[in-house]
Amino acid sequence: MQLNDKRRALSAATLTLLGGAPAAGHASVLDGNGNWDIDTAVLVYSESDSRVQLVEPVIKGTLNLGGERYLTTKLVLDTLTGASPNGATPASHPQTFTGPSGGSNYTVAAFETPLDDTFKDTRVQGSVDYLFPTSPNGKLGFGLNASSEYDFLSVGANARYAHDFFQHNTTLSAGVSFESDQIDPVGGAPVALSIMPPNAGDGEQEEDDQEGRERSSSESKTVTDLIVGWTQVISPRSLMQVNYSLSVASGYQTDPYKLLSVVGSDGEPLRYIYEGRPDSRNKQALYGRYKRLMFDRDVFDISYRFMTDDWGIDSHTVDLTYRWYFSQNHYLEPHLRWYNQTAADFYHVALYDGQETQVDYASADPRLSELDGMTLGLKVGSAWRNSGNWSARLELYQQQYQDTGIPPEAAQGLSKFDLQPDLTAVMLTLGYRFKW
Amino acid sequence: MKPRPISVDAASGGVHVGRFDAMASPCEVLIAGAPADRIEALVTAAADEVWRIERHWSRYLDDNVVHRINTANGQPVEVDAETARFLDYAAQLHTLSDGLFDVTSGVLRRIWRFDGSDRIPTQAQIDAVLPLVGWHRVRWQNPVLQMPAGMEIDFGGIGKEYAVDRALQTVRAHTDAAVLVNCGGDLAASGPRPDGTPWRVGVQIAGAESPPVLALDHGGLASSGDAHRYLLKDGIRYPHVLDPRSGRPVVGAPRTVTVRAASCTEAGVLSTLALLHGADAQDYLKQNDAVAWIWW
Repeated sequence: MQLNDKRRALSAATLTLLGGAPAAGHASVLDGNGNWDIDTAVLVYSESDSRVQLVEPVIKGTLNLGGERYLTTKLVLDTLTGASPNGATPASHPQTFTGPSGGSNYTVAAFETPLDDTFKDTRVQGSVDYLFPTSPNGKLGFGLNASSEYDFLSVGANARYAHDFFQHNTTLSAGVSFESDQIDPVGGAPVALSIMPPNAGDGEQEEDDQEGRERSSSESKTVTDLIVGWTQVISPRSLMQVNYSLSVASGYQTDPYKLLSVVGSDGEPLRYIYEGRPDSRNKQALYGRYKRLMFDRDVFDISYRFMTDDWGIDSHTVDLTYRWYFSQNHYLEPHLRWYNQTAADFYHVALYDGQETQVDYASADPRLSELDGMTLGLKVGSAWRNSGNWSARLELYQQQYQDTGIPPEAAQGLSKFDLQPDLTAVMLTLGYRFKW
Repeated sequence: MKPRPISVDAASGGVHVGRFDAMASPCEVLIAGAPADRIEALVTAAADEVWRIERHWSRYLDDNVVHRINTANGQPVEVDAETARFLDYAAQLHTLSDGLFDVTSGVLRRIWRFDGSDRIPTQAQIDAVLPLVGWHRVRWQNPVLQMPAGMEIDFGGIGKEYAVDRALQTVRAHTDAAVLVNCGGDLAASGPRPDGTPWRVGVQIAGAESPPVLALDHGGLASSGDAHRYLLKDGIRYPHVLDPRSGRPVVGAPRTVTVRAASCTEAGVLSTLALLHGADAQDYLKQNDAVAWIWW
């Protein structure tokens, strides 16, 4: 007898049953030999509603070794405090979450965006870079960098080569960098899309771990970047630059502390699951920049960047600055930056009951949402030739999310919540640069 | 655990019968053409296998994998290889049956008690339990199973049929004789009797004066029906067959469906699903090219 497909599938299944897996930048110092050019800055970043607060001192020293050879070292210290969204949606009742270490619970009031206020981090980042000429027209650079946080360690290396043509009017460059990250999430890396166990903080963690070899203590990721660039002097007063870059990231790219709410049709959370992102991400970006000297005094700088990746995110960035020398040695520089991105394919504000087993990946990280960002800034600074120069920059950042990733079955229920409140941040950067 | 009894008798035509109780059913092993002094060992092997599976998957014991799963309270549980194979199977059946076959539907028994009474749960009671039913809510990544707290798994639907197939396999590993294993009407045979004639099997039908007799030479035979368990209210008979998607009994289903297939397990799945198709049971069996007998 000719069996139909479903019956054949059943028979086969039964038989199986019974029978038995940043590259470090470099500063170009035009003058001085055996001198250090020291660049210091401190950035203070503050999000509204007592969200993320960041203080970031930076010190960079470039040693001119003569013969156009430069050694650059850089040290950055980041201190983050404040609260960041844990990915869950608001609810009509207070929600209690367990921190990743299991010991710390935090409760979020009804209708509030769940923020994890146990969020604190300190990051140390260092890099060394060496740039030297290989010929009158060729320059080769090598860099090493490392970054460490309490749950994250990254080491990287890069190499790049630039060659000048046509009396240095044209420069073609190519670079490659490789980064290896190790992530050791607090409490282990949860299985992607698994249900956050209720009451994980009840002191039964050890017992849980017996059962739950679901958490791996350490994850890793590698990122390989290729970049090719073309810089062209157009006239004595203008130049343009075009870069194409390809970035291939492979490994753990999930945020182990981020959740998604699984909601019923009333929009209320039934349970929470850990987010999960693909193990690979390929990005391509095209960058174009035009820079022009205006009135033999000011500098106009405009750039555009298009990025597309295989997570479904396409982004456009337009960046515009105008440096106005209002006196011989002082400038004022307004800054406008506009950013837009589409949402990642697996971005969901929340998942509808049962949807979590139908999807391969999901994240409620607002950074993967469709969003528009606008930065307005003003910088003031000095430009002395032979002494230290200071600068101060104040910027305002406003981010607006578009309504994407809302499960249609729960759209009405979720409509009573402010799912993606807009974000406002203020950035202040103070810098001082001097020779030593 | 105290040893459970088996008995062995000689029947006519060189056939020996071993009997034991398992899975709330009388079980028998018929062996034709094996030396008399080996019968007891063969029956014991079959019984041990059925008892092993019963212990392994019974939801009435508190020291087995099903108990660990059902009391995990939302935590992931790693399961053994055999349970993993069974869960893979359950997942495939869920897909193949568009959600009708669901090993998580046992929770519905909390509100549907098929004791012949007229206690029909309210829609509110059903709605309260339904979020705890549905394989699609289960995270199954072999070998780790994670269910939302409150959900349960029950292998009762095909566990007995599987045990029958396994018991037959066990006996066949020890003898070339013709063997038939029968637990409460779900049975599997290794081949015809030595004289070439098929086994003759009586099917229990509620209300039938004489049980119909079916022939089986090899493969499996399984029956599903609501012979004893039902609710009766306002003249409507609510059989114990529950649709996991609606949380309500399937009305209009045949009294008994018997299916013959390559194995007892496959026959059991087909007969169970036929019943779940209610009044469309016949069409379902026809669409699946099943050799079946239906008693309305």
